Amino acid sequence: MATGLLKGLGVTFQEMFRPKVTTKYPDEPYVFPNRLRGIQKLYVEKCIVCHQCANICPTQCITIKEKPKTDPAQKKKELAVFDINFEICILCDLCTEVCPTEAIVMTSNVELAETSRADLHKDLPWLEANNTNVREVNKP
Amino acid sequence: MPAALGAVVLLLVVLGLVTFAVYVHRKLLGWMQGRHGPTHTGPYGLLQTIADTVKLLQKEDVIPAQVDRPLFRLAPIIAFAPSFVVLAVIPFAPGLTFADVGVGLLFYLAVASVTTLGVIAGGWAANNKWSLIGALRSAAQMVSYEVPLALSALAVVLMAGSLNLNAIVEAQARSVWFVIPQALGFVIFLIAALAELNRTPFDLTEAESELVAGYLTEYSGVRFAFFMLGEYVYLFAMGALIATLYFGGWLPPHPALAFVPGIVWFLIKALFFAVLPFWLQATFPRARVDQLMGLAWKGLIPLAMVNLVLTAALKTWL
Amino acid sequence: MATLRTEELVLNVGPQHPSTHGVFRLIVTLDGETIVDARPVIGYLHRGTEKLAEDLTYTQIIPYTDRMDYLSAMIGNYALVHAVETLMGLEIPERAEYLRVIAMELNRIASHLVWFGTYLLDLGAITPFLYAFREREKILQLFAEISGARLTYSYMRIGGVKWDVPDEGWLGRVERFVDDFERALEEFHTLVTGNEIVQARLKGIGRIDRETAIAYGLTGVNLRSTGVAYDVRKAKPYSIYDRFEFEVPVRTEGDLWARYLLRLEEMEQSRRIVKQAVRQFPSGGEIMARMPKLIRPPAGEVYTSVESPRGELGVYIVSEGKPQPYRIHFRRPSFVNLQILPRLLIGENVANMIAILGSIDIVLGEVDA
Repeated sequence: MATGLLKGLGVTFQEMFRPKVTTKYPDEPYVFPNRLRGIQKLYVEKCIVCHQCANICPTQCITIKEKPKTDPAQKKKELAVFDINFEICILCDLCTEVCPTEAIVMTSNVELAETSRADLHKDLPWLEANNTNVREVNKP
Repeated sequence: MPAALGAVVLLLVVLGLVTFAVYVHRKLLGWMQGRHGPTHTGPYGLLQTIADTVKLLQKEDVIPAQVDRPLFRLAPIIAFAPSFVVLAVIPFAPGLTFADVGVGLLFYLAVASVTTLGVIAGGWAANNKWSLIGALRSAAQMVSYEVPLALSALAVVLMAGSLNLNAIVEAQARSVWFVIPQALGFVIFLIAALAELNRTPFDLTEAESELVAGYLTEYSGVRFAFFMLGEYVYLFAMGALIATLYFGGWLPPHPALAFVPGIVWFLIKALFFAVLPFWLQATFPRARVDQLMGLAWKGLIPLAMVNLVLTAALKTWL
Repeated sequence: MATLRTEELVLNVGPQHPSTHGVFRLIVTLDGETIVDARPVIGYLHRGTEKLAEDLTYTQIIPYTDRMDYLSAMIGNYALVHAVETLMGLEIPERAEYLRVIAMELNRIASHLVWFGTYLLDLGAITPFLYAFREREKILQLFAEISGARLTYSYMRIGGVKWDVPDEGWLGRVERFVDDFERALEEFHTLVTGNEIVQARLKGIGRIDRETAIAYGLTGVNLRSTGVAYDVRKAKPYSIYDRFEFEVPVRTEGDLWARYLLRLEEMEQSRRIVKQAVRQFPSGGEIMARMPKLIRPPAGEVYTSVESPRGELGVYIVSEGKPQPYRIHFRRPSFVNLQILPRLLIGENVANMIAILGSIDIVLGEVDA
């Protein structure tokens, strides 16, 4: 009559002697797959200020401004402002996908918790200096 | 004076066991679910319960606005105090009983049911619908399951010829452990005991997925800790009672093993039955409230009656 | 004789309640523990996806489909890109189709695993939840490797998929998973299906008959449990589902037990599909069709539907030939299936209420969109 109950007890009993599945994160770092989508890395010198990333962004979290040209002969546009608002960025990877020069790439750094909202506004220097877990293929 | 000292020692020992029981509970559940259980507080997470208790103690004492204040404050104490009182009649080892009451078993059952009052009072006082449903379920459940519990224990009393728990153990020393002649009674007692303790599969009074937390919904901090403490002490007390009634209390399994002190045997047996519900909790889902009542009134009580009659016949003609 | 005055109790279940699977609210009127009236309140997770989509290009809508039925984002992605591709009449490379099918069927398993675990949690059993998540974790790991996310994959693109397999071994790991998964399913059956308490709680409860199910427009397991063998994958084959051998499990009882068994059986069928797809996987080829830089489907209307773990997930697009849709509508199975809930609840008790709600298998992100 109660064989199902007893068999169930057997399953849970055996499980005690199987290896545990819990990982030791954060005591031991968790190795994320290389493609994992984390916060972006910006290569300022590669950027041609084409605004495609800002346009494709489904949440409009990227703000780009161009530097006024000092030398009229200069052809290449230069970045003045490149902000990503991480309050609303959904890490969908579309900005890095459209970038023609791979100036903006994704890293697999997802440990983004901050104690203040203001810290979530990542600006150009921060994004340029961000070198944690850059994907192998995107390293210069 | 020695009696008072003994009571304090008992309290401390039981508190220590409860601390240990919570830890074992979490470890066992963890292992059965492919997890580690507590690991961070102290070596192997041994201090987890202490950390939890300290956390509960320093919490703000929240009393919601609409509660019946005196009753809300009183309920945890009503629920908790009897759990320690019942331990007084448990025979831990030869001569080690804090109150050798003539009607020990009856005392245990009577005092233990006071806890239900605390649960009902808490559920009512909290003035919360979930609490109320939980408390009412608890009342119905206790009323239903005390009957088979007492009936199956009564068969043991018939066998031993005494209500005194010491005498029951001594009777088992003369014959065999009562689990053998009373196998049916033992199964009924075990099921009814699980229901009394509100353990899975009969944890309807605090059925999380249905009733949020049942009668505990509005309780937090120290008051919550009292309810939890009471629950774990009962777990141990019930394990002790099962060991006493059916597994010969402090008696060794074989006379050749008598060199091991009685208290060790007793603790092994009692703790085994205190831990068993954790295993069941890891395996079974919750029964439904109407099924639970059906099981008690249509299944366990008639069976317990049959068991009682059989025991009486056995006792008379053998 | 003086009669005791009794009152009905109005109980507010949710939006914060452990078993409403998100922010669902249910106002029930109780007589004792028996439900005499039930009124669902939804909308706590409404984000206006359809309205927002009118201002977004088709590619930009993909991340939004992730967040509707977040337990099966792959299938949500596919539903959208499939509709756009149908409108544009695109031919999808074979390799991409295989990757899509593998991803979708693994996602179906993952989604049913979440259902299995949380449903048993609703019934009061805590361990199956962790066993189910242990298995699901392996799928999420595979998804993180191929798509870069564990939940909101955004893996599909109009015309193909974003990534090819991450390395040579990925397909091997998928195959190893589906082989091992057979054992896990057996374990679930031993631990849960055979359990007498589970059977006592599920059999004969929450019965839906065939006519009611059709009248309410139920799809998915809720419909198939009443004896209607309707599965979009068979009825209107899309992608390359006609190349695989699999069955559409059907039962006739229409109760919780039937739905429980069907979901477990569907995991087994998905397992079979993935295994065949891995075996037949083409050795080379493109993963994206030739696409214009800006996707501009021709003016017109299209409705396509796919079989999500919850039922028929349909996408209706009205296009004016612009990069953004004029109007897009999602037929969300969770939303449609939920409509039958009040009817099922009348006369049941609180414990059954949770069991019935769980068995419909709703995802609030999809109900509210």
